[in-house]
Amino acid sequence: MIFLILLKAFLITLWVVFIGLLFLGIGRKITARIQKRYGPPFYQQFIDVIKLLAKESIWHHWIMILGAIMALGGLIATALHVPIAGILPYDSNGPIFLVLYLSAIGYLGMAMGVSASGNPNAPLGIGRALTLMLGYEIPFAAVLIIFMGLTKSSYFLQIAQSQAGGILHWNFIRYPLAFIGAEIAVQAMMAEKPFDQMIAPAEIASGPLVEWPGKFLGLGMIQMGVSVFIETAIITNLFLGPSHNILDFTLKQFGIYFIALCINAVMPRFKIENAAIYLWTIPLGLGLLQMLITFVL
Amino acid sequence: MLDKIQKDREKRQSAWEAVINYFRKRSLYMLHYCTGCGAIELPPIMTSRWDMERFGIAPMATPRQADILLVTGYASQKTIKRLIYTYEQMPNPKWVLGFGSCTINGGIYWDSYNVINKLDRYIPIDLFISGCMPRPQSILSAMKKLQEMIGKGEAKGYERYKQNYEWYKKNQRKLLERETPFLDGGEK
Amino acid sequence: MKIKEMLENIKKEFPYIGTEIQEEKQARIYVCNDKFLNILTYLRNEKFEHLANIFAIDWIDEKEFEINYNLWSYEYLVSIIVKVRIPRDKAKIPTALNIWDHAQIYEREVHEFFGIEFIGNPDLSPLFLHNWKDLPPMRKDFDTEAFSRKAFDVGEREGEK
Repeated sequence: MIFLILLKAFLITLWVVFIGLLFLGIGRKITARIQKRYGPPFYQQFIDVIKLLAKESIWHHWIMILGAIMALGGLIATALHVPIAGILPYDSNGPIFLVLYLSAIGYLGMAMGVSASGNPNAPLGIGRALTLMLGYEIPFAAVLIIFMGLTKSSYFLQIAQSQAGGILHWNFIRYPLAFIGAEIAVQAMMAEKPFDQMIAPAEIASGPLVEWPGKFLGLGMIQMGVSVFIETAIITNLFLGPSHNILDFTLKQFGIYFIALCINAVMPRFKIENAAIYLWTIPLGLGLLQMLITFVL
Repeated sequence: MLDKIQKDREKRQSAWEAVINYFRKRSLYMLHYCTGCGAIELPPIMTSRWDMERFGIAPMATPRQADILLVTGYASQKTIKRLIYTYEQMPNPKWVLGFGSCTINGGIYWDSYNVINKLDRYIPIDLFISGCMPRPQSILSAMKKLQEMIGKGEAKGYERYKQNYEWYKKNQRKLLERETPFLDGGEK
Repeated sequence: MKIKEMLENIKKEFPYIGTEIQEEKQARIYVCNDKFLNILTYLRNEKFEHLANIFAIDWIDEKEFEINYNLWSYEYLVSIIVKVRIPRDKAKIPTALNIWDHAQIYEREVHEFFGIEFIGNPDLSPLFLHNWKDLPPMRKDFDTEAFSRKAFDVGEREGEK
């Protein structure tokens, strides 16, 4: 039994990494087209990762390696608890609190790894990432509370199942304010513009990744793909109804990512303090308003 | 016996190199060191006019992640020091593109007291782009040429640096750590 | 106030200076070494409060250095250059630090590139050049081509015989 779970977990991990990198590659192409460029091929991200994994790497401290592995491991562990079209490696319904808890481990691992690298830009970037996390977790929690209250459960699958019966029953039609609030929060989670303060290449030289050469950066890219997968999967489960098969689910995920990309391509960047204030007013306000409409009126 | 093992290993290694060279040439991160002139020629090749990202070449903000070091224009005695730091921070394999006449022979600053004449004496350069200034097209064609060279395994500047490390260091020291004046009558 | 009247006023105060109007808003004042601080102080009090820069010229045939103080007035929108000549072999001049604080960095630069000593300036350490051991490079008797050949190992160039 345990072997079956491990096999399933392994296959799901491969799928998550594959889809994550594919999304990033297609994302680069789409961004290029929006900017009137031809753009790299859609498989560019795979080439980049393979090249980076074959490149020489330098580390200044063993904590750097530990941090890099912990960041990727934490995110993959998170991905294994988010149902993909109802599929999970073990018998469960996708516990929301576990996912929220595990998703912080990735960032903590990254914070550890990059702080050990000793470059002053790295703690600056990670500080921004954690500030931003403080910003988007609260509106996102507000949105989650609505659905947990409605379905009286804290599982992704039950929320997804509660939307059965056609597109008009899907949560993004029934609760549009919550959807917009969650979209903004997810934009910040994916660190797409206007919330890319943590990367900011022209400002703090790629932020946390500044001192991550070769293989570390390769792992970082896989990690980025996995986090895109997780965030789109969470939104798909919450708002876009029950999915019948994995292709259906992936297309819905891509829809979410596409919206984020289009906003990313045309937006400038917030200052970090403005971003936190923005996240605590607009999306949180939308979430609370939806809560008021749903439960009080 | 030992020879055979050595040969087998070399064979395996060269096969591996051939495979990995394909990925290397298709994915190049470029760090541009633009303290000289000519940085203005780079935006057209990065943006929609010539779009170098379609060949997998992307700008990078830090030397730790870069594959190509693009040195635009002249390097003075002060910038050459930073240039060497930057070059040595980059992990292998790495390549250097010399951009403009000044990196080849000093260009119009050939008799200046402060401009390095032959950049190749201080860091190994894989490819020069001649011209003052080179047009964006010639930068792009240099990139294609570099990709070709990487694919064939010809661009080995970083290995030249390793093998002739003493020579490069000697040249660098002669300039940067000099203790006596170069000309008679020195010392103000 | 017209620039002509302005120069006449200055001339009344200091009869020993030479003046020259170059353009509508630009004039020159020639003054000898030991009196120039008085005229700088006077100009500063007469609303020429901005010292834009200090630069030197090497007149090697006349065996003189010329130090130029580039002044600008926000009130009259007029620029005046005060020119001081000093002998080349005894290149020493009092500092203008007491009149403008930021003269410090300009004097440091002039000292580095011409070897002119500013008496009273506390910090004349090297500023721009890296580990410089030769003659100051902007002096006319410094052979920059020979230096370039020696320092950067150029040797004979092709087609240069």
